[in-house]
Amino acid sequence: MKERRSIAAPASGSVKALSDDSGIEYWHGRILVTSQGYILPTSTPVNHYLRISPRLLALVPAAVAINLVVGTITRELSLPVYLDTIGTVLVAAVSGFGPGVLVGAVSQLLLGLLTGYQYLPFVVIQWLLALLVALAASYHGFRSVFRTVLWGLACGACCGALSAVISYTLFGGSTGGGVGWLTAALRSAGLPLGVAVAIGSSSTDLLDKTIVIVVTGMLLRTLPRRILGRFPRAARAVGQ
Amino acid sequence: MTLARRAHPFTTGAVALTAVTLALLLADTQDVIVLYLVTVLVAVATGAGAGVRRGLYVVVPIWALLFILQVLLGLDPRTAAPWGGTMSVPGVQFALSQGSRLAVIATASLAFATTFDPQRFLQASIARGWPFGAAFLLVATLDAADRLASQARQLREAQRTRGVMVSGSLATRARALPALIFPLLLTSLTEADDRALALDTRGLLLTGRRTAIDPPADSPTGRALRWLMLVLVIAAAVWRVRR
Repeated sequence: MKERRSIAAPASGSVKALSDDSGIEYWHGRILVTSQGYILPTSTPVNHYLRISPRLLALVPAAVAINLVVGTITRELSLPVYLDTIGTVLVAAVSGFGPGVLVGAVSQLLLGLLTGYQYLPFVVIQWLLALLVALAASYHGFRSVFRTVLWGLACGACCGALSAVISYTLFGGSTGGGVGWLTAALRSAGLPLGVAVAIGSSSTDLLDKTIVIVVTGMLLRTLPRRILGRFPRAARAVGQ
Repeated sequence: MTLARRAHPFTTGAVALTAVTLALLLADTQDVIVLYLVTVLVAVATGAGAGVRRGLYVVVPIWALLFILQVLLGLDPRTAAPWGGTMSVPGVQFALSQGSRLAVIATASLAFATTFDPQRFLQASIARGWPFGAAFLLVATLDAADRLASQARQLREAQRTRGVMVSGSLATRARALPALIFPLLLTSLTEADDRALALDTRGLLLTGRRTAIDPPADSPTGRALRWLMLVLVIAAAVWRVRR
């Protein structure tokens, strides 16, 4: 869904840009890089600049808020999962990898204001998730429950593995919260620390990410065509 | 108003960021423990003591887990523990080193958070000519979080009146989840275009220098402190590389 349009450059003059539904455009020196990777020369030298479309500027705060609020709802229901990446998954599915990364980064930065920035390294899990979900969306990964479960398990396995590496390397397995105590229980049962951390992180992430992706898939499939029409990637994700 | 709240938001941010960076750069455990004590003292002295308390809530469970996983169940060699039994020698080193680093990071960032005023930060960013989109994103997200949390509370009560059970067995609570989160997700998607139109018509994405209406005052002392923090970080980085 590409269209050629004229947009004002941050400096004087204007450049031609390719705009897509992800809504992010970058300028750097004398070139312009669109979110789909097109590199175009510009007539005006401009500073590195990031322009966010109004729709994305409206969607990203809502998605970050969803991450925070749904995480709170899940804690209030005392469920053994986090579901605090549902906004990231939703945006990555409807707008692509770049916006998903943006939501993940802002979520983690904002969470840092509530719980401290010691968990900031886990932002890479949000980015990996955004990448995998964008990939799933481009391969119609949200077309059926079966497909979402498969993609959910794949995302959970990848994110769990990365989470285990971060948790083991930077925290020695002591990340606090339920996963930390599960790791401690497994370690007391005689498992080596690395194995205990891997099992603790992977089991939680496998369940968590699968539920997040299945829930997002259910939502996308129930969206009316009118709304799907506004998000072409979401339509592609559910195979329409 | 406390000193930390009166200060320019970039100054408090720079101090917190310096503490975090030094915690990552310093190699000796004793140095990091001293840094933690300095961070606590600075936070309390400038009126951000609430951040120290919140920091303790966050790091005490981590310390407890470090004690169990590294000190009690850590690798050999082991030595006699003061409470009887044995403890891991490398485990004690790791627990002290990582425990104090995490404490500095949590305390500095939460002390900064207790003094952080999004609107002052936005005004300061505009006055400095920073990209408006980035600053707006932060402030709009904080607003959206408040709005959505309020919607979630109303939704929860409404769904309970319709018979959705939010307590009981794990299966019952899990079944309540879609009824509580689907409307929030759907609303955020459907409202995106309306909000985008509102942002566009209000000229939010216009380029060019913006005017800050009420920027926070910046003092020469604040500017000097920010430069000092930068010099400290560079010095620590050079010292670490040369060591």
